Amino acid sequence: MFDLMGRNSRQGMWAMPLGVAVVIGAVLSFGTAQFATAENLWNLVTQAMPLVITAIGQMLVVLVGGLDLSVGSVISFTTAILALDAPAWVLIPAVFVLAAGIGFINGFVVTRFRVHPIIVTLSTQYIVLGVTRILRPTSGGTVPEVVIAAVSGSLWGVPFAALWGLAVIALAWVLLYRARYGLHLFAIGGGIASGQTEAARNFGLKDRRTVLLAYVACSCFAALAGVFLAGRIVSGDPNVGLLVELDSITAVALGGTQLAGGIGSLHGTVIGAFVLALLANGMNLANVSPFVQTAVKGVILMAVVGLQSRKKMGL
Amino acid sequence: MLNKALRVPPAYYVFAILVLVLAVLRPKMLDPHVLGIFIRQVAPLGILTLGQLLVIRVKSIDLSGGGVILAVNYAISSGSFPGASLGFQVALALGLGLAVGLFNGVMVAKRRVSAVIVTLAVSIILVGAVQYLASGKPPGNVPEVFGALYNTSFGVIPAPVALWGLLTLILAVFLGRSVYGRFVAAVGESTTAAQFSGVPVERTVIAAHALAGVIAGVAALVQTASIAVGSVRVGLDLPILAVAATILGGVAFGRGEGGVWGPFFGVLSFALLFVVMTMLGVGEPGKLIFQGLIILSAAILYGLRSSNT
Amino acid sequence: MPDRVTMTDISKRFGANAALTSVSVAFQAGSVHALMGENGAGKSTLMKILAGVHRPDQGEILLDGVKITPAAPRDALDAGISTVFQEHSLLPNLTIAENMFLGREPMRHGIDHRRMEAETAAALAELGLRLDPRRLVSTLSIAERQFVEIAHGIKGNAKVLILDEPTAALNAADVEILNRNIRRLRDKGVAIIYISHRMEEIFALCDRVTVLKDGQWIATHDTADITPDRLIALMVGRPLQDLFPPRGQTTGAEILRLTDLRLTARSRPLSLTLNRGEIVALAGLEGQGQQLLARSLIGAHLPHGGTVAINGKVIPAPSIRSMQREGLGFVPEDRKEEGLFLGLSIAQNITMGLHARARDLAPARSYKAVVARIMAAMKVKGRAGAPVASLSGGNQQKVLLGRYLAAEVQLLVIEEPTRGVDVGAKSEIYALLRDFAAKGGAVLVLSRETLELIGLSDRIYVVHDATIMAEMQADQASEHKILEAALQGGRGADV
Repeated sequence: MFDLMGRNSRQGMWAMPLGVAVVIGAVLSFGTAQFATAENLWNLVTQAMPLVITAIGQMLVVLVGGLDLSVGSVISFTTAILALDAPAWVLIPAVFVLAAGIGFINGFVVTRFRVHPIIVTLSTQYIVLGVTRILRPTSGGTVPEVVIAAVSGSLWGVPFAALWGLAVIALAWVLLYRARYGLHLFAIGGGIASGQTEAARNFGLKDRRTVLLAYVACSCFAALAGVFLAGRIVSGDPNVGLLVELDSITAVALGGTQLAGGIGSLHGTVIGAFVLALLANGMNLANVSPFVQTAVKGVILMAVVGLQSRKKMGL
Repeated sequence: MLNKALRVPPAYYVFAILVLVLAVLRPKMLDPHVLGIFIRQVAPLGILTLGQLLVIRVKSIDLSGGGVILAVNYAISSGSFPGASLGFQVALALGLGLAVGLFNGVMVAKRRVSAVIVTLAVSIILVGAVQYLASGKPPGNVPEVFGALYNTSFGVIPAPVALWGLLTLILAVFLGRSVYGRFVAAVGESTTAAQFSGVPVERTVIAAHALAGVIAGVAALVQTASIAVGSVRVGLDLPILAVAATILGGVAFGRGEGGVWGPFFGVLSFALLFVVMTMLGVGEPGKLIFQGLIILSAAILYGLRSSNT
Repeated sequence: MPDRVTMTDISKRFGANAALTSVSVAFQAGSVHALMGENGAGKSTLMKILAGVHRPDQGEILLDGVKITPAAPRDALDAGISTVFQEHSLLPNLTIAENMFLGREPMRHGIDHRRMEAETAAALAELGLRLDPRRLVSTLSIAERQFVEIAHGIKGNAKVLILDEPTAALNAADVEILNRNIRRLRDKGVAIIYISHRMEEIFALCDRVTVLKDGQWIATHDTADITPDRLIALMVGRPLQDLFPPRGQTTGAEILRLTDLRLTARSRPLSLTLNRGEIVALAGLEGQGQQLLARSLIGAHLPHGGTVAINGKVIPAPSIRSMQREGLGFVPEDRKEEGLFLGLSIAQNITMGLHARARDLAPARSYKAVVARIMAAMKVKGRAGAPVASLSGGNQQKVLLGRYLAAEVQLLVIEEPTRGVDVGAKSEIYALLRDFAAKGGAVLVLSRETLELIGLSDRIYVVHDATIMAEMQADQASEHKILEAALQGGRGADV
């Protein structure tokens, strides 16, 4: 039997958002002439890509019962670094090293001092945002040519954006489903969600290190999204990542991943991110005010997270 | 000995150090009138912090205050209610705050949704709605009565500071003397133990959020009076500052050693800090970094302490 | 037979409690060795040390004559020591195969799921089980999970297999399958360490038996040389300390009646009564449902059927607050996490029960006189304003009891009344409970220490498999009788 609610699988409830995506797509194709054009569809893919990449990273952390509120700041920070006056071969490795460092701090404080991940990443969100605004108070500067070229070209009619997306999804797929690392993430998250916090360790898993690496990976995925965005806007922008952390959480939860940990899927997260992108695309085509779009995002976040039940009260 | 020193809210140390720094570098700043003006600026933050410390005491958090402030500011400055009395506007602000707070409380206590997510979502919904209504442009002017009240002072104490002090006193007495205050302490210490001893845990959390909402309404009125015009950005950074001031004041998730006065001094420290930072030429970004560092280091400190016991 | 594992002079303390004191024992290859003892005798701690979960404070472990110091479960596993723990340790969101191979997944261009599944199916088939290795553990029944745990333990090249109460969730047919497999492994030369409370299993399966008591080694015998009666005598037989006040003389009106209460979906219904003036105990082996029974009756757990009546009045939907309104108080086992507010003062802790009945907006009375009276009556050492965290275990327990005495409850449900409490304070707490009953209250007490229950109570219910197996007068009860009623009272409902 097809498991629509995802009760008997580790994938979570991902079929429903897929249905939602199809419905929105259908409504838009019939409702507006501009939607179902190749140009708009490729455009949609390009627009969705930063969120897809960030949400995949966010999912790694969510799978072990965590949350990373600093990804938006990391994205802005990355664009600001890339717009510095230095050669590309310095800047590009630098953004990933810096992002890994931020992720390391997040993961280290969470695993060593047992501070709630929301508090830790809220703090780093502000710290990184502050540093970004010092580097680049307003949008400006230029990013290296190679970055721009890497995201704005196309190959046989397929924009580079889509190829980038495929590459990232493939990387995440290997990490989650082919490597041991992904299985261990699920295992640790499953233990946390069911209250057996020692269970994974009793199997001999190095749980602290695995969780810490999830935060590092999450930051690096955000940095990758930042590189992508920098190539698109051609400059550094301290506000480009604003609220992306919430979008990424919405996408993850919408894709059926449980915020308690242990349940979720890569395809669900990708679908979740595309649903949000479709909505944004549709609302743009329908000339909905960007402010209303923000409010709608808030409503969706509240709805998808509110529908997940948990036992703990508070943060 | 060290443990005792750790139990004193960090805000008191920070406040003392900042006073010292100012006394040495710019003694003129310590003139009551000058100081009053600086402290008046943080009165909205101080009031908002009262609500924040209440929800943090019951291990929750409220990041929706920015949305409430913005919405109240819009309602008052947009002229949507022409000729409305001051009483109506106050009631509107408090009513909006209460509604938001109740919603937060029910979602957190009954639905058990993460408080950060709920209150952030509420905030961005309110911000989106207000910016849509205002079409992204500052709405208009605030009725003059607000400005007049804001500029009143009792001797050297400006009215907003007096209001803040009064509310702090009321909350201190309420939490110290009422049964509800005991419930808050109980839930903060241990939800399970509170449940087993018959404390109405869910009701306590909902009430804390509702009260924090009303307090955010008050903060919104003061903030609106302080800027005298409508704005589509006002107050958005206040909730997180309130979290930082609360933690600096010795109130962390479930820990209430700092009481109500610890966070009060946390906010005062921020007032002085802004003076010192401005003096040293540290801009907005520096303040952001500083807020983050305060929350992070306080959280690590509490984490270390609880792992020691 | 050669010694596979020798543990020499092992000691372990948890805080103030000595869990193991200089225990030495050897386990042989190709033999099934039973480890027996009462609740808290140290069996599980000893095995967790061998499995690398805990580290011993002192002592030495030799595996095939070579010293090992397992610092983590991984080290023990790598050395060939496999464990099936009592508590469920499988991860619910992983498949059977993934659980079986977690931490040592075969790789072939990534995790080799096919091989994992094939080997798992084979391992399960050896146990006579036909389960799809791709099923998530969360979809399995308790017995199926138990078998997967066992399959996990015996898979690979285990030299030593530790089974901690493996049959608790199995029915007779499943136990037979398990025993067959244990014998097969024994014949392959594995050293098997078997913890169980079921006499017939010990004698049917095990070659040797070691008895621990209070964290100390008592005896090791060949099972052929010992009788069940003698074994039970070794496990109990502790000198009874004279800490207990005289039993109650009179009993008053009925205060509590449970009728046909079913604790779990599958457990058999139980009934129980409690009268004023009585202290009644729930005895039995650890984790047989005593706690669930207590929590059903205080309104924290929703039973699957049956009624709770207080003073003859059936409580329609018991919740913690509604039961407290009926005059019930609850002292949980985990004093620090579930009972006390450690950061709050003694006075605040004592008055919380009184405040919980008041309206939220009412002024919080300080109840200075009440607090002073309670603290004096209970001889609580400390200032009323001092935080409870600063008190000793005994004084903390008194404060918690004081909360309900201050609230003048009629019926007190208390779990582990003297856990982590020193001897002097123990007898004071017993006297307080007796005094409470003598004044017309009623007490329902749970404890892992059977002797405590016998000494303290008037009447005892023996709980096993989430139901009541027997009822006896405390003055005629003995550890032996209680163990017998629990262990030999039949297997209970099939799972």
